[in-house]
Amino acid sequence: MSHAHAAPAAPFRMGIPIPNGKLGMWLFLGTEIMFFTAFIGTYIVMRMGSPGWPTDVHVTHINILMGGINTFVLILSSYFVVVAHDAVLQKNPGKARMFMVATLALGIVFLGIKSYEYYGKIDYDILPGHIAESDRQSMEKLLKIVERRMDTHLAAVTPNAKKGEREERLAELDTRLTDLQAGGDKKATAELARAQAVKKLYNEYVNIRDHVRAEVSFAVPFSDLEKLRTETDTSKIPPLKLGPFPHEGHEYHPPAETLLGHVHQKVLTDPELQPLVSGVKLERVRPILYGNLFASNYFLMTGFHAIHVIVGLILFILAIKSPLSLANAVFVENAGLYWHFVDLVWIFLFPLIYIV
Amino acid sequence: MSDHEENHSHAGTYFAVFIALCVFTGLSILADALHFSDKNITRVLVLAVATAKALCVMMYFMHLKFERAWKYLLLVPTGILALALPFALFPDVGAHYYTPDVPQVREYAAQQHPDDVSHARDDDGGHAPAEHH
Repeated sequence: MSHAHAAPAAPFRMGIPIPNGKLGMWLFLGTEIMFFTAFIGTYIVMRMGSPGWPTDVHVTHINILMGGINTFVLILSSYFVVVAHDAVLQKNPGKARMFMVATLALGIVFLGIKSYEYYGKIDYDILPGHIAESDRQSMEKLLKIVERRMDTHLAAVTPNAKKGEREERLAELDTRLTDLQAGGDKKATAELARAQAVKKLYNEYVNIRDHVRAEVSFAVPFSDLEKLRTETDTSKIPPLKLGPFPHEGHEYHPPAETLLGHVHQKVLTDPELQPLVSGVKLERVRPILYGNLFASNYFLMTGFHAIHVIVGLILFILAIKSPLSLANAVFVENAGLYWHFVDLVWIFLFPLIYIV
Repeated sequence: MSDHEENHSHAGTYFAVFIALCVFTGLSILADALHFSDKNITRVLVLAVATAKALCVMMYFMHLKFERAWKYLLLVPTGILALALPFALFPDVGAHYYTPDVPQVREYAAQQHPDDVSHARDDDGGHAPAEHH
């Protein structure tokens, strides 16, 4: 900082009359404004240009209450940090430290609520690139889920087969089944039951796979699928429909000829197969048109915001470790400026994502 | 480094601004809860409230109301560049002057006209990148 002259006239000073640190922080915030308006502007432009957008909050699992609570948490923390800075200037480091700790705690609360929201998204597979957007994609996604489960359990019961060769694993499974059934060893009944369940799951997987590939309704039995291959009159082939998704709190009785109905009745609720397919959620394959675009934008905006919140918390930890005397006032002010910016971004993110 | 406010605390102003922010947040939640017939009314209201809140935070918490002209030097070029991106992308991404032919647009059109049977079977419908043996 330039030192005062003894001359009576006020000296000319170069530059802007604020501390270098503050100017540096403001310049950085200028770049951050451009950083976030890039993502928010892209979201706005993409949404305006898209013929559709998933807006049903029960489908996108957007929780407006949680978003509102987060907004209040950040506003309160902004208030606390500015009170802390005021306390530093009033030479009250005890009060300043108390309010800084409170700000830090509120920041952690924000991240906690955000993680809960992210957990919900991940649980329903609302991730960029994972979401099915048409009935056809939903069917193929469900098929892949069943296939993966089947492969996992097949690999678990056939330890001797070469890795990755499904035919070899199936051959080993068949030999084990014949051995176990012929042996009659009482101790091996659990192993036999498991091997039989895996075999049943494999057969069911083949059934589902061939119906999905041929796009033929499950009203046509598996044994008749081959006959339909040569059928030229397409009106005679009943098409495969995806089926209804379970509603929370209601009993689920989907039509058996739909894919969801067949999987629910023949695989997910079959007592023999249940241990093999536990945790498979039908909701995860629900088609959400423009869902991937929505998920990409959502995670980009909120993800970068969350990273900025973490950086802000690190700044607060550094501030709390300092003595919080007048000498630290500039650092506290700069940390506060950064935190206010983070709050500002959330003030715009909340309506744009949760309400609009 | 020393500011003029060393002598008196501004805690009262800060508290008033905090209350204003809470009121604005409540207003935006109310605007959403009222379920207007035209969603655009909700959007305009909620974004106006967001701008008001942003101004409160910027002017008082970030102290910009009391800073000198350097704030314009900083924020005006930033603002211009910030607006430039959406404006630049808008003609191509935000408003099409051609109709893109992609699976999502075809699927969306199919959902709007479910009785258009001619596309029922041969429409690709957007295959997931799955292999076909």
